[in-house]
Amino acid sequence: MIGRTTPVLEPPVVDRAPEALADRWVAATSTRITGEEIVFAGHYPDFPIFPGVCVVDCAIGGALAAPPPDAAPLTLAAVDSARFVGAVYPGDTLDVTLEWRRREDSWRCQAVASTERGKAASVRLRFREASC
Amino acid sequence: MLISPAGVRAALPHRYPMLLVDRVTEIVPGERLTAYKAVTLNEPWYQRLGPVVDDAELAYPPVLLIESWGQAAGLLAQYDHPEPEALRTNVMVVGGISGAVFHRPVLPGELLEHDVRLVRALTDTMIFEGECRSGGEVVFEVERVTMAYRPAGMLREQPVAH
Repeated sequence: MIGRTTPVLEPPVVDRAPEALADRWVAATSTRITGEEIVFAGHYPDFPIFPGVCVVDCAIGGALAAPPPDAAPLTLAAVDSARFVGAVYPGDTLDVTLEWRRREDSWRCQAVASTERGKAASVRLRFREASC
Repeated sequence: MLISPAGVRAALPHRYPMLLVDRVTEIVPGERLTAYKAVTLNEPWYQRLGPVVDDAELAYPPVLLIESWGQAAGLLAQYDHPEPEALRTNVMVVGGISGAVFHRPVLPGELLEHDVRLVRALTDTMIFEGECRSGGEVVFEVERVTMAYRPAGMLREQPVAH
């Protein structure tokens, strides 16, 4: 896999490898959000909050770490939607559940990111397969 | 009307490495804004890459394109809520994003031009749309970003001490 530049230092851990259900693949990953993350220095100086877009990045990272086994290498094409419902702080673990479905020429990934306090965000991602 | 880099820094609570707007070249309050963000190889996200990389690995993180564009939207939002007291006690929170499409990777050395349009303003919520260009070419577009003002105290309520 080609490395990817990301604002999140901690790599995702695959907790549940992709498993085939009737019309989809399901998987789960988690990312520890430590106080060492560089984004906290500036977001914000007096009260560290993990940026919502970094929650989305954890979903992207999780998706790329647990892709559908029958997919070619994937590239992010779109964030079809993201809804932010709970804050994420240093010390949290962000658990991400993933549901993959193929739609014509792309892969859609529905991700739900949660901390121990509950849901932080729901994210719908769209990936395209490398055409090589 | 425009906002200098010092003005951007004064208007946004974000700081290095998450202050992702450099200057604002045009504001029509309540309507639209144009802002610039220069992407450089010196940003901290590139620090951890190995000794040899290819351009694909140097693609600017797509989520930071969203963040940078969103900060530009935040600057436009402030022109409808300019009371300093409100800014001290409230923070702007992105509630949702729809239809954020990435047309091609952005690499260090590119100068991004964000165009933000206010679609709708409710009591404490604003909805924006727009796109980001590099050299005149659209590299990213977003259908809808919803932002809301929330009491800062709400975000400070941390459940665990760190």
